[in-house]
Amino acid sequence: MTSEVVTAIGFVVIIATLVALELLGRRRTNKIPTTGEWLGYIMRPRAGRALILLGWLWLGWHYFAR
Amino acid sequence: MPGGGAARRPAQASDLAMLAWLGPRPGRKLLVGTIVVVYAWVASASAPFSTRALITVLVPGAILGAVAYGRPPERIQPPETLDVGGFSYWIVALALLFEWEASAFRAGAPWWHPTLTDLINPLLTPHPVRAAAFVVWIAAGWGLVKR
Repeated sequence: MTSEVVTAIGFVVIIATLVALELLGRRRTNKIPTTGEWLGYIMRPRAGRALILLGWLWLGWHYFAR
Repeated sequence: MPGGGAARRPAQASDLAMLAWLGPRPGRKLLVGTIVVVYAWVASASAPFSTRALITVLVPGAILGAVAYGRPPERIQPPETLDVGGFSYWIVALALLFEWEASAFRAGAPWWHPTLTDLINPLLTPHPVRAAAFVVWIAAGWGLVKR
């Protein structure tokens, strides 16, 4: 197994963990918030809202303009 | 066809389910959806690092920014508090993602330790996939505006 594959597997495992956390959050049998809930909480103040929206814009620029 | 002219097909359960899924003002949503898909298709054909590519990303950003601060839609009520223990799972997973990415970035993204972008970019090369990703990006932006 090459190092490149190990790196890719690392990303897949981490992203799968994030998806699993989202699914667990939706089950409502624990205190794990969903992505929408914690993003909404961060976006309550205007500064948090601006920060998250700028992050979204940066993602678009990074993947579609470069 | 008997009787000439095109006979109207009676509404079926699948049609009603589609309308229910679209919620109120389905025509407006279909129109906006069509515009977004066409825009994404055109935008995703832009050459990387071109002015056109930059503008096609900035336009949705400007529109959603104006909506978010000028005429915000009815927002989904955010929670008053977050459980620190529950949120800590997210913090750890996101920290791992950034650490894994940063270690590749810091190493200069060699072939043996590529960044997430290096892995994703080849997947986004086909035009339909890139356009679909663009639609998802705009939809995510709209989702954030409603938060």
